Amino acid sequence: MAETIYIRMRHRIQKKSDERIFLQDLAQIIATDELLSSLKNVCLYHITEQDKNIIIIDSTRLIREIKKRYKDLEIQLIGPAQTIIEVVFEKKKVALPFFILVWLLLFIGSGLTIMNFHEDVSMQTVHQRIYTMITGKEIEKPLIFQIPYSIGLGLGMVIFFNHVFKKRLNEEPSPLEVEVFNYQQSLDQYMIMHENKESIKKVDDH
Amino acid sequence: MIISILFVIFVGLAWGITVGAGYVAFLTVFGIIPRLTQLTKTFSKIYAYEWAAVLGAVLGTIAFLQEPTFSLPAFLLILIGLADGIYVGMIAAALTEVLDVFPLLAKRIGIDDRLLILMMALVFGKIFGSLFHWIYFIP
Repeated sequence: MAETIYIRMRHRIQKKSDERIFLQDLAQIIATDELLSSLKNVCLYHITEQDKNIIIIDSTRLIREIKKRYKDLEIQLIGPAQTIIEVVFEKKKVALPFFILVWLLLFIGSGLTIMNFHEDVSMQTVHQRIYTMITGKEIEKPLIFQIPYSIGLGLGMVIFFNHVFKKRLNEEPSPLEVEVFNYQQSLDQYMIMHENKESIKKVDDH
Repeated sequence: MIISILFVIFVGLAWGITVGAGYVAFLTVFGIIPRLTQLTKTFSKIYAYEWAAVLGAVLGTIAFLQEPTFSLPAFLLILIGLADGIYVGMIAAALTEVLDVFPLLAKRIGIDDRLLILMMALVFGKIFGSLFHWIYFIP
């Protein structure tokens, strides 16, 4: 009876440029010890300068390579059908001035939009009316209302994002982290469909 | 005469229903209430929170149509102001999230690790923008 091995491809791995990709990088394998030690070092791909920063290795290619060496091995694939390899060129680091620029952009933009919003909904008048409603007095600048309001504005955003600087309010991921995750997931899905040459067949492909 | 009164009542009711439905849709899209129940782990109280939003909207409408005045001490305004600010802040935060600004920005310029500092830019921008508006900008 043929021996069975189980393979589970990893979803996403990072590799430096000019490295070789072995089977053990791409997938988790369940097999007998002796088989495993030789399978682990099967080379599937060599990243060269020509490669872009994303390479997708399909499971068919992996199985083909294994079959070439071990003809009567039965391969069971569990999990993802491909692995996304992210080629990391030298560690990309955002320059500090650039980062500060983005920070200031967000800071000023955020501040101006809230001013626009206040003007848009005539918030000054509303605040004056609330002041009159509570105290019975008229006032030009109800700052006793407006300063707590401004602080609350920041507080509300922090509560929503579930972050007080480095400290979390509880262990759940913040909506922002979930959002970043979803975005990454969609990107991966797109690349799996579009960059994986094995899964697209066009009319003019021969 | 009676017909015109009935018609006015009908128009008012229709108007109110549309605005009310719109307000609820607005709250639903932003998901503020689910977010708060998630943070405080009070999922069972969600109907009470819904009623809080509805009653708040109705009382706010009455207050602004009737303009009652109470001679209460001014420090109460600090609490109301804070609550008002937190609510608007949560909506502002939800809005940036709905619009997917951050994931895109973080990915494009590769600053996934410093997301928090960028988020603080938004928070401080809102606080300082608001203070600037109230204290200096308005003559």
